[in-house]
Amino acid sequence: MRIENAGQLEQYRRECQARLDKQTRRLLVCCGPGCLANGSQAVSDAFKKVLRNRKIKGFKVEALKETGCHGFCEQGPLVVIEPEGIFYTRVKPAHAEKILEETIAKNKVIDKLLFRDHNNGQPITCYRDIPFYSRQQRIALRNIGQINQCDIDEYIATGGYSGMAKALTQMTPKQVIDEVTASGLRGRGGGGFPAGRKWKTAASAEDTPHYVICNGDEGDPGAFMDRAIMEGDPHSVIEGMIIAAYAVGAHEGYIYVREEYPLAVVNLQKAIEQATEYGLLGENIIGTDFTLELNISRGGGAFVCGESSALMRSVAGEVGEPRAKYVRSVLKGLYDKPTVLNNVESYACVPAIIDKGGKWFASIGTKKSTGTKAFSLVGKVRNTGLIEVPMGTTLREIIYDIGGGIQNDRPFKAVQTGGPSGGCLPEAKLDLPVDFDTLTEAGSMMGSGGMIVLDDQTCVVDLAKYFLAFLVDESCGKCVPCREGLHQLYGMAVAVSEGRATEETLEKMERLSEVVAVGSLCGLGKSGPNPFLSTVKYFRDEYLAHINDKKCPAGVCRELIRFEVIEDKCDGCMACVAACASNAITGQKKEPHVIDQELCNKCGACRTVCRRDAILVL
Amino acid sequence: MKQRLYVKPELCTGCRTCELACSFTNTVDGKPRRSRIYPLPAGYPDMYVPVVCLHCDDPACAKSCLVDAITRNEETGGMELDQDKCVRCMACIAACPFGCALLDTQYDQVVKCDLCGGDPVCARFCPTKALECRPAVLTTRKKLAGSSS
Amino acid sequence: MISMTINGKVVKAEKGEMLLKVTRREGIDIPALCHHDAVEPFGGCRLCMVEITKADWDGWKNYVTACLYPAEDGLIIQTHSAKVNELRKGVLDLLAARCPNSPEIRELAAEYGVPQTTLEEVPDADNCIMCGLCTRVCERLGFKAISTVGRGHSKQVAPPLNEAPPDCVGCISCAQVCPTNVIPYKDINGKRTIWEKQFELIACKECGKHTITTDFADALCERRAIPRDYFDVCDDCRRKELSLKMGSIVAWSREGTS
Ligand SMILES: Cc1cc2nc3c(=O)[nH]c(=O)nc-3n(C[C@H](O)[C@H](O)[C@H](O)COP(=O)(O)O)c2cc1C
Ligand code: SF4
Ligand code: SF4
Ligand code: SF4
Ligand code: SF4
Ligand code: FES
Repeated sequence: MRIENAGQLEQYRRECQARLDKQTRRLLVCCGPGCLANGSQAVSDAFKKVLRNRKIKGFKVEALKETGCHGFCEQGPLVVIEPEGIFYTRVKPAHAEKILEETIAKNKVIDKLLFRDHNNGQPITCYRDIPFYSRQQRIALRNIGQINQCDIDEYIATGGYSGMAKALTQMTPKQVIDEVTASGLRGRGGGGFPAGRKWKTAASAEDTPHYVICNGDEGDPGAFMDRAIMEGDPHSVIEGMIIAAYAVGAHEGYIYVREEYPLAVVNLQKAIEQATEYGLLGENIIGTDFTLELNISRGGGAFVCGESSALMRSVAGEVGEPRAKYVRSVLKGLYDKPTVLNNVESYACVPAIIDKGGKWFASIGTKKSTGTKAFSLVGKVRNTGLIEVPMGTTLREIIYDIGGGIQNDRPFKAVQTGGPSGGCLPEAKLDLPVDFDTLTEAGSMMGSGGMIVLDDQTCVVDLAKYFLAFLVDESCGKCVPCREGLHQLYGMAVAVSEGRATEETLEKMERLSEVVAVGSLCGLGKSGPNPFLSTVKYFRDEYLAHINDKKCPAGVCRELIRFEVIEDKCDGCMACVAACASNAITGQKKEPHVIDQELCNKCGACRTVCRRDAILVL
Repeated sequence: MKQRLYVKPELCTGCRTCELACSFTNTVDGKPRRSRIYPLPAGYPDMYVPVVCLHCDDPACAKSCLVDAITRNEETGGMELDQDKCVRCMACIAACPFGCALLDTQYDQVVKCDLCGGDPVCARFCPTKALECRPAVLTTRKKLAGSSS
Repeated sequence: MISMTINGKVVKAEKGEMLLKVTRREGIDIPALCHHDAVEPFGGCRLCMVEITKADWDGWKNYVTACLYPAEDGLIIQTHSAKVNELRKGVLDLLAARCPNSPEIRELAAEYGVPQTTLEEVPDADNCIMCGLCTRVCERLGFKAISTVGRGHSKQVAPPLNEAPPDCVGCISCAQVCPTNVIPYKDINGKRTIWEKQFELIACKECGKHTITTDFADALCERRAIPRDYFDVCDDCRRKELSLKMGSIVAWSREGTS
C-alpha cells in the first residue's frame, strides 16, 4: 500500500484507530531491554500459548502486544492491561493463564502481582497512580510501552507521521526550522546545542549534497534511553529524521546504531521497510516531490565513535577516530559535506514539536532548557528504570519521588550524571533543577541522560577510578593528553585508593586534569577528568581520608579496609563461613566467629550474607 | 619571468667558483662537497662541464616523488624541493637521469638546485660566463616540431 | 591577505592557511611533533597549542593547535604565554613519562622545564610517541603497509598481523619522518631490512653504489610511468655520464667548426 497524500494518511490513521478501538482490552507485555533480561519473552510466549488453546471472551490475539521499555525495569517483567492501566510486576510465565482468566475474562485484579507502595505497603492497581509514573511526562518516550514495538499501523494510529505530513505539505523548510527554533529544542546527546540553529546553518550551506545522521551510539555505561527508543518506537526516530532532512534539504541519511544493539538494528530496519512500503519514506514521500533514503550504519564498537567527527568518519567507512574540527561538521561533516547530526532522543521529539507546535514544547521545562528529558535512573535508588521528566525537575524529585529514595533506606551520598564525561553532585545540590546549564555550572553535566544514584556505601575514589578506567579503555589514543593523561590520572587514583598517595598526588592530579581538559582533541578527553574533578570538589575529605588516615570511609577500597566480626552480635550461624571463598572465617556453631585477616581477600561476601549485621568494615 | 640557466661547457675553465658560490649560499658551513653544482672533467684535456639540474620539462624527480615535494616554481621556472614536505625516500635521487638531486649527508637532507629563487649565484660568480641565467627562450619540443615542418 | 597579531606583532597571512605555517614563516619556534607537511594536519601531540583570542571575544581565550587552526582576520595569538607554556610543559611531562629514554623528548621536555618526568614512568616503554606520522606518510605514499592497532594507551604502530608487511616496499620514509627515531632499519651488503622484511637494494651498474630498493623502484615505475632503466645507474655516475656526454658534444662541435 502506498499513501499518496496527507488526506489519505489521515484517513488511514482513522482506520487504524478504529481497529485499535475494537480491542477493548489490550495486554501489553514489556519487551524492553530490562524486562527481556528478566525473561519477558517467555512471559509473552506463555500468553500466546494459552491463547492458542483457549478462547478468552472479548479478547483477540492481536490485543496482546510486545512493547518497548515501559520504564519501571526494576519491577520487571511488566505486564499492563489497558485501558484500565492495571500494572502487574515481576510476572512469570506461569502467571499467564491466571491473568487471562481472571483479569481479562472476569475483570478481577490479581493482588499478588500488583506494585506495592514502598511506604505503606499498599497495592496500587493502576500504574498511572504510582509516583514513579505520575511524576513523569513523556514526549520522546510517548509511545514506548504503549504500542507494539514496530507496528507501523499502531504508530500511525497514535498520530504518527502526521507531523511529517504537516511539515511536507503545509510548511516550507524555513517554517519547519523556525518551529524547531521556537521550540527551543536542544540536543539530547550531551552537548545541548540548539537543534534549530544547527539546522539553519546546514540548510543555508551552499555545498551539496546535505546529509542527516542520527546518533544512536549511546556508549555511556548504564544508559539505555536511546536504545529503548530505537527498539520500542523506531518510527518516531525515522519521522524526526524525515522532517529534519526536509528542513535542511538532505536526501540521504544514516542511522548510526551502536554495535551492541542488534535488536535496534532489526527494528529500525523493519520500520524503514514498512515506512518505505507505505510511501512515507524513500521516493516522493506521501506524493510530494521530497525524497529521502535512510540507511543503517553499524557502530564501530567504541565509545568515542559517538563523538560527532569520529562517527562521521566511521559512517564513511574510515577508522572511527575523532578529527580536530575548527570548521564545524554542520558545514563540513560526512564526506566533508554539510551534515546535521542529532541524537536519537532529539529526533524523537521533533514530530511532536511539528504536530503540536514549538510554543507548546517551549512551555514545558525551563526557559533555556525546554521540553522533557529522558534519563536512565540506576544505582542505589529503589525504582530503577527509564524515566522522562520536564526539564527543571529537581534531582530530589527524581531521586525521591520517582526513584522512591535510596535502597534499604540508606543515606543518600551523591548522584552521578552525564556518564563518564559528567560528574558527581552531593546532597547539597539535590534541589538543583535538572537542566543543561545548571548541571554544567555545578560541575557535572546533562550528558545523554545517565543518572547513577550513590549511597553511603559507594566510595567516590572508587567511582572516579571506575570512570577513569572506562575512559582509559575507550580513549582512541590519538592525542597525548587523553591517552597518557587519563592513564596517569587512573594510576594516581589507584594509588589513592590503595593508600599509597600523598596530598601532593592530589595536587598533581588536579594540575594534570587541567592539561587533559584543555589540551585534549575531542570531548572524551576534554571532559575525561570530570568524574575526578567533581568528586574531589565535593568530597575532598574522603580523598584525604584515603591519603592521610589510610581509610576508606565507605568501606570499599580493599587495601584500606578490614572486616571484623562483632562478637556480641554473632550467633554463630555459619552463613559467612559458607560464603567466604578464601576460607578465612572460622568458628564453632553457635559461637562467635573470627576472620583471619591474612586470608581475607576483602570481597565483603560475609557481610552481605550476615543476617545479624555482625560483620563490620573498618 | 621564466629563467633558464644556460651552461656553456666550452667556456668553463673548471675553476669551481660556481661550486663555492653555491655551497656558500646554500649550505651552512660552505663545504664545497655540498654544492648543487659540480664542474666535472668532460673527458678531454682542460674541458669541464658544470653539471647542474636542467629543470627538465618532464622532470623525473618530480614524477618519482610520491608526496609531491618537488614542484615547479612558475615564476622562475625552477624545480624546487620543499624541504618540509620531503620524506627522504631518495626516490628522486635515484630517478634523475642526470644525478642532479643530491643527498646532503651532513644534514641528512635531499637537496637540489632551485635556481636560487631566480638569481643563481653560480651564474653571477662564473668568471667566464660559462653559466648564464636569462629569460628562457621557448624552444620546447612543440616549437622545434613547428619549425622543422 | 588577512592580518593577525602574533606575540604582539602584526603579521600578514593567507586566509585559511594553518597558523603553524604562519608562525614557522615568522621564525617562531613552536614544537610540533606530529606534524609533517607531506600529510594532513593531525592534532595529536598537542604541543603546538597556542592561545587565541579576538578583540570582540570579551577577553575569552581559546587554546587551539596551530597545526590545524586556519588563519583568520583579526586573530590575536600568543605562542608562548604562561598558560601555553604550562600546557606544553604538562604534555611534555606526559611524553617524558611515556618515553623516558628518548633523547629527543628529553631534550624538548628539559627546554620546557621538565628535566625529569614528575609522573610515573611507563614500564617497558619504547620511544614511540604515537604521533602516527609513519603510518600517515606510508598511506600518503600509497603503500598503506603499516597502521596503528588498538586504541588508547595500548595503541601501537604495527604491520598487519605483526608480520613482515606485504605491501611495504622498503622506502624507509616511515623511519625518516619519525620524530623520535624509533623505526629501525639496516642497509647491509646490498640488502635492506625494515619491519623485519628484507629488500634488495639496486646496485649501480657502473660503480656498484646502492640506491633504493628494487621493490620501491618497481612501484615508482608502475605508478609514475618512469622507465625502469632510470634506476640502473647511481647519481654520481649519472653526473659523470652527463659531463662526458656533453664533453663529447662540445668536442664534436669544435671539430665540426674548425
Ligand atoms: C566521547 C563522546 C561520545 C559521545 N557519544 C555520544 C553518544 O553515544 N550519543 C549521542 O547522541 N551523542 C554522543 N556524543 C555527542 C555527539 O558528539 C554530538 O554532540 C551529538 O550526537 C549531537 O546531537 P544532539 O545535538 O542531538 O545532541 C558524544 C560526544 C563525545 C565527545
Ligand atoms: S581526546 Fe581521547 S578520544 Fe579524543 S582524540 Fe584525543 S585520544 Fe582520542
Ligand atoms: S633534478 Fe634532475 S630530473 Fe629533476 S629537474 Fe633537475 S635534472 Fe631534471
Ligand atoms: S626524497 Fe624527498 S623529494 Fe625525493 S622523492 Fe622522497 S620525498 Fe620526494
Ligand atoms: S618503508 Fe614500508 S612501511 Fe615504511 S613508508 Fe615505506 S612502504 Fe611504508
Ligand atoms: S603538531 Fe600540532 S598537534 Fe602535533
